[in-house]
Amino acid sequence: MNFKKATLVMLALAVSSQVSAHSRWILPSHFTLSSERGEWVTLDATASNEVFNVDKALSIDPLSILTPSGKKSRPSSAYKAHRKSVADYFVEESGTYKITNNSTPSYFSTYKVGDKRHRARVNKMELKSLVSANATSLQTAYGLTRIESYITMNNPTENYAIDGKFLELLPKTHPSEVVENEPATFVFTYNGKVQSGVEVEITRDGARYRNNPETLTMKSNSKGEITFTPIHAGRYLLIAEHEQEAKNKTLADKEHGGVFLTFEVQLQ
Amino acid sequence: MNTLFSHRAIKVILLIFFLLLLSVSQSSQAHGNSTGTLAIKLELKQQQGEYHPPYVAAWLENNDRKSVRTLLLWRKEPKWLKDIRRWWRNVGRKDAELVDAITSATHAAGSFPLSFELTDDEQHALTEGDYTLYIEVVREKGGRSLLKQKFSLNNQTQQFTLKETAETGAITFTVTP
Repeated sequence: MNFKKATLVMLALAVSSQVSAHSRWILPSHFTLSSERGEWVTLDATASNEVFNVDKALSIDPLSILTPSGKKSRPSSAYKAHRKSVADYFVEESGTYKITNNSTPSYFSTYKVGDKRHRARVNKMELKSLVSANATSLQTAYGLTRIESYITMNNPTENYAIDGKFLELLPKTHPSEVVENEPATFVFTYNGKVQSGVEVEITRDGARYRNNPETLTMKSNSKGEITFTPIHAGRYLLIAEHEQEAKNKTLADKEHGGVFLTFEVQLQ
Repeated sequence: MNTLFSHRAIKVILLIFFLLLLSVSQSSQAHGNSTGTLAIKLELKQQQGEYHPPYVAAWLENNDRKSVRTLLLWRKEPKWLKDIRRWWRNVGRKDAELVDAITSATHAAGSFPLSFELTDDEQHALTEGDYTLYIEVVREKGGRSLLKQKFSLNNQTQQFTLKETAETGAITFTVTP
C-alpha cells in the first residue's frame, strides 16, 4: 500500500516535471470503412484532458496522411474552431492510412523563480542566458511527441511507417483488428530499438460520464510490448511516454518521446 | 497375324479403360451426392417504428476461427458492409471477389428456409471437424445480433435451435452429413 502510494506520488511528480500539457489527439469520424469508390472522413484535432470531449483546438499544420501506397497527402480542407480543428479527407485507396500530426523535435525548458514555475521553448544554453540569476530548478528536455491514428478502408495493410526516431508505437495487433475481450499487443521503440518501461495509459471514450475514468495503466515489457484486453468496444486514447538522460548534456538534460494514439475497439 | 492380335489387344485395353473411366466418374458422382447439407430456417423479426431491412451475413468458421465459407450475404450499399462488423473484419474486407459472388438483396422481416451444401468457399466438401455457424444481423437505426452455434461435422445429423434475439426469432439449423 505504502509502496503503491509512493509510486503514485512519483508518477505524479514525473508527469508534472514533464511537459504537463493537455492530452492531444486526432479523432477520425471513421476508423473502418467499406467502399468501392472511396469515402470522406472528417478528422477532429484537439488538446483536452477529457477523452473524447474537445477543449482547445490543436494546430493541424503538420497534419500528414500516409496512403496505403506510401504517398504523403494533405487534407482537402481544414478549419480551426475554438475548441477543435477539423479537416476533411477523401479516402480513395483500399488499405490502411496512417494519420499523423507530429511537430518537429523540440526543446522544452522549465525553471522556477521563487515558487513560481515557468516554461520556455528553448534549449539549455538559451535558457541560461534567458533566466535571471535567482532562477532555480533549470531543466531542459529535447523530444518529440507523436499524435497519430490509423484508418482502414477495405483490406487492412501494415502501413506503419516507423522512422526510428524517439518514441514510436508499432502495432503488433493491427489497429483495425482490436476487438473487445481479445488481447491486443503494441510494441514501443525508442530511436528504433524496442524500449522497456514505457509508461502507457489507455482511456476509453466518455470519461466525462464516469466517476472513474477507468484508465488502464501499464509499462512495456523487456520486448517493448504491452498487451491489454479491452472489455468494452469503443474509441480509445492511448498515451505513452518515455524519458531518459540525454547523451550529450550541452543542449538538454533529458530527452523524451510521447505518443498519442487514437484507435477503436470493435464489437466481437 | 501379328497386326490382328494387336488390334484385339487395343480393343480390350480400350474397353478396360472405358470401364475404369465410367467407374471413376460414378464414384466421384456418388461422392458429390454425399456432400451434406446445412439447413437454416432464418427468422428476421418484425420491428416497431422506422424499419430498414437488415443486412445479414451467415458464415462458417473452423476451429482456428478462420472463415471457411460465407453462406449468405444480404445487403445493399457497400458503404454499410462494415456494419456487419465481425463478418466484415474477418471475411468480407479481405475478399472482394467473394463479396461480389455471394451478394444478394436484403429482405424484410419474415421466415426464410435456406439450404446450403456443406462445402467451403471453393466448393470443396468440408472435412470432418469442429465448426461454428455465425449469423450476423444488423439493421440501420436498429440493433445488431450476432448468433453462433458450434457443431461437429461427423456422420450424425444434428439439429439446433438458436434462441430468439432482438433482431431474430428462433432459428433452427440442421446439419445433415
